[in-house]
Amino acid sequence: MTINMISEDNQIILSLSGRLDAANAPKLEAELKKSIIGVEKLVFDFKELEYISSAGLHVLLNAQKVMNKQGEMIVRNVNDTIADVFEITGFVDILTIE
Amino acid sequence: MPMFVKLSLMAAVPVIFSVLMYLIDKKTGFNKLKYAYKQIMIGLVFGIIAICGTEFGVNVDGATINVRNAAPLCAGLIFGAPAGIISGVIGGTERFFAVFWGAGSYTQIACSITTVLAGVLAAVMRKFLFGNKKTSWFYGLVIAILTEIFDMLMIFLTNLSDVHTAFTIVRKCTYLMVSLNALAVMFSILLISFIGNHKRRERHDIRRISQTFSRWLLLCVSVAFVITISFSMFLQSQLTQSDTLELLNLNIDDVKADISDASDKNLLDLTKLIANDISRQDDISGDYLDELKERYDVAEINIVDNRGIIVLSTYDAFINYNMNGGEQSEEFLVLLDGETKEFVQKYRPTASDSSIMRKYAGVALGSGFVQVAYDAQRFQRDIDKQVIGVTRNRHVGENGSIIIANEKGEIVSDRNDNEGENIGITGISIDTDTTAQEECFTAEVYGQPCYCMYVVPEGYYVIAVIPQEDVEFSKDLSIYITAFMLFLVFGALFILVYLLIETLIVNNIRKINNSLAEITGGNLDVVVDVRSNEEFASLSDDINSTVVTLKGYIAEAAARIDKELEFAKTIQYSALPSVFPPYPSRTEFDIYASMTTAKEVGGDFYDFYLLGESRLAFLIADVSGKGIPAAMFMMTSKTLIKSLAEAGNEINDVFTLANEKLCENNDAGMFVTAWMGILDLKTGHIDFANAGHNPPLIRRKDGAFEFLKCPARFVLAGMDSIKYRKNELQLEPGDEIFLYTDGVTEATDIQENAYGGDRLLRLLNENKCVDSKSLCELVKDDIDRFAGDAPQFDDITMLSLKYNNKME
Repeated sequence: MTINMISEDNQIILSLSGRLDAANAPKLEAELKKSIIGVEKLVFDFKELEYISSAGLHVLLNAQKVMNKQGEMIVRNVNDTIADVFEITGFVDILTIE
Repeated sequence: MPMFVKLSLMAAVPVIFSVLMYLIDKKTGFNKLKYAYKQIMIGLVFGIIAICGTEFGVNVDGATINVRNAAPLCAGLIFGAPAGIISGVIGGTERFFAVFWGAGSYTQIACSITTVLAGVLAAVMRKFLFGNKKTSWFYGLVIAILTEIFDMLMIFLTNLSDVHTAFTIVRKCTYLMVSLNALAVMFSILLISFIGNHKRRERHDIRRISQTFSRWLLLCVSVAFVITISFSMFLQSQLTQSDTLELLNLNIDDVKADISDASDKNLLDLTKLIANDISRQDDISGDYLDELKERYDVAEINIVDNRGIIVLSTYDAFINYNMNGGEQSEEFLVLLDGETKEFVQKYRPTASDSSIMRKYAGVALGSGFVQVAYDAQRFQRDIDKQVIGVTRNRHVGENGSIIIANEKGEIVSDRNDNEGENIGITGISIDTDTTAQEECFTAEVYGQPCYCMYVVPEGYYVIAVIPQEDVEFSKDLSIYITAFMLFLVFGALFILVYLLIETLIVNNIRKINNSLAEITGGNLDVVVDVRSNEEFASLSDDINSTVVTLKGYIAEAAARIDKELEFAKTIQYSALPSVFPPYPSRTEFDIYASMTTAKEVGGDFYDFYLLGESRLAFLIADVSGKGIPAAMFMMTSKTLIKSLAEAGNEINDVFTLANEKLCENNDAGMFVTAWMGILDLKTGHIDFANAGHNPPLIRRKDGAFEFLKCPARFVLAGMDSIKYRKNELQLEPGDEIFLYTDGVTEATDIQENAYGGDRLLRLLNENKCVDSKSLCELVKDDIDRFAGDAPQFDDITMLSLKYNNKME
């Protein structure tokens, strides 16, 4: 998985590609932990992301919890597989998906 | 064009091409070429630059100055060892044959060899000293200086039979050739490191050993070089000075002795003749003496008796003079001892009147002796020819000579045919008051600066003259060669010591560090094996034994953790219902469940229990994450849900309350997906709730399995204040329901293909009339077959429930 981060002002756009599974989730978590401080808008671009596992959901959930306090979080360009996962797990209810 | 512009243009060529090649290599597709092709092309380009260096040399003061060696040095030091060697060979070969179209043949061999060696030197240095990397401008400068100095030494070596010409060339070339080549190499490297430094090199607070070492070594070597060269220069000039003095002295002494001998003999011969004449007379009168004086043209004749008293003299005043009366006259008394027959004195002041200069000789006669004296003009007339004979063709050193003048300052002997002229014509002027005899002084003799020395024997001024150039030549030659040799020796010494340290210490440390990096990276099987010397062998052994000990501890710890995990697994499994069939007396339903954890302990769980007599609760859940944290969270969740269900809560309330509880103190941010149903065994009615879990599969009697589509709510423990919904479902006897976790559908094979829901659906539908246990086992076997050798990443958990008939 590769993480591409664009950061401007108080906004971060994270473009992920590949598989966000148990093997890669810690990488994303570390990246977020480092850069999420003071961010008011966090955008995940999943255009290139193929798959998300429960470990990935775990990272998203924690990011959402942080962003609930300091701004907003948006997930965009979600493919069908991942949309299914969000649907099944009820993440659609808590995430802002565009 | 002014000379320095030509010279700087010439030196700029290698610099410009180095930068150009560097840019081409960095910015174009050139660097995609194979290393070998690249090296050959760069070697060719710099070979041509070297040729241009030869062909476009600039004539300065009769010597051809060119910037040839800079090209192979730049190629080797900046671009790579093969490029350096190629360009050196090209440049050197061309220089060898260039004599046929105009290049100097005198330096042919020296220059061509040096150019080839310049390429080799650059290659070797790059390879062994700089770790095959571009070096700093500083080393480039030093290497270029070394090369040029080697070139100069080679000019000497190849022309040993004609050191004079060789030295003339070297003296003219050295400064320009050395500085131009050195500056060219230095600026090439400097400019390139300037361009290349987009990303500035990280500043290391701590220097590498080799860096610190090479700096200190360089300092020491430079200081040693300067001291040695200064000492040797001092010594050389002292030696030259004393050599010159000695040479002048030797010649002067020779001439002085010759002149003394000649004048001594001249006067003695005269005296003997006079004594002979006197001895033949019976009676000697003063008149006879006067007659003899006239005849032989001498200054005085004295006859002395056996008591040392002048009995007869051409000067009446001298009669009855006692020879003991003066130092000069006293010396003659040796003639009275009966053995000494003749005695001659130097030309000197007389005892009676020190303003008169005379030369005396005496010959024994009877019991007394006859003493004769004459002055300088008289005897010089006799011996001038002899004096000219001994000095005219005498060489002092190679080009020096002897000049002789008489008391009046007229030249007696001179190689330039100025006899009879005043000494001033030579350019020498001697002030006897300020310049002592046998002391070196400088004068321009016939327009040439010379070292001179004079003595005054027998009324002659004997001046030895040697051109300064003669003396300085040998001095300068020695100093140049010494300096060149020292530079090469110290250069070689520096390289040798550096290489020794590099191979003996730095490389070994690097090897050990690499091994240690692997070890700290987790590979404890790496063995440090540096055995080139005792110290490193023992260090290697120590590290190895430390690692072995560490491995022992780790194995021990791992074994302990394994044991504890084994316990944890037992506890976890025993928390799940694991005796099947669980209710042997109940025939209304058939239930089976299984869990295969990916690690020792897992985050999945299933559960089922009877609520009262007629209701069966069953659930499947998946905690995010794996291992101990997931297992602990799973135990909490399972216990919580069971207690809430057993307290009689509706299914939706069970989840809502469990979610509230789980959200408290969930610092790790874990969550659980869960699907739970409560089956009324009397009616077949199911109340169920889904907290973000995969949809179960359901099969109606005689139908096929299909996914139970039903909107899920959010996972448990993810966010508080979530109200879960109660969903309903009606089972008829013969219907069955299959629950699973994503460990089933997302099991992957070697190519990372997922097992998938479709495959699961197909398998289940192919096996209709099997009991719950067999169904679960079939699915597990199929997953194993599918995954093959791929490792299991997630826990695989299934629960199958078959509703056989309604409870009476």
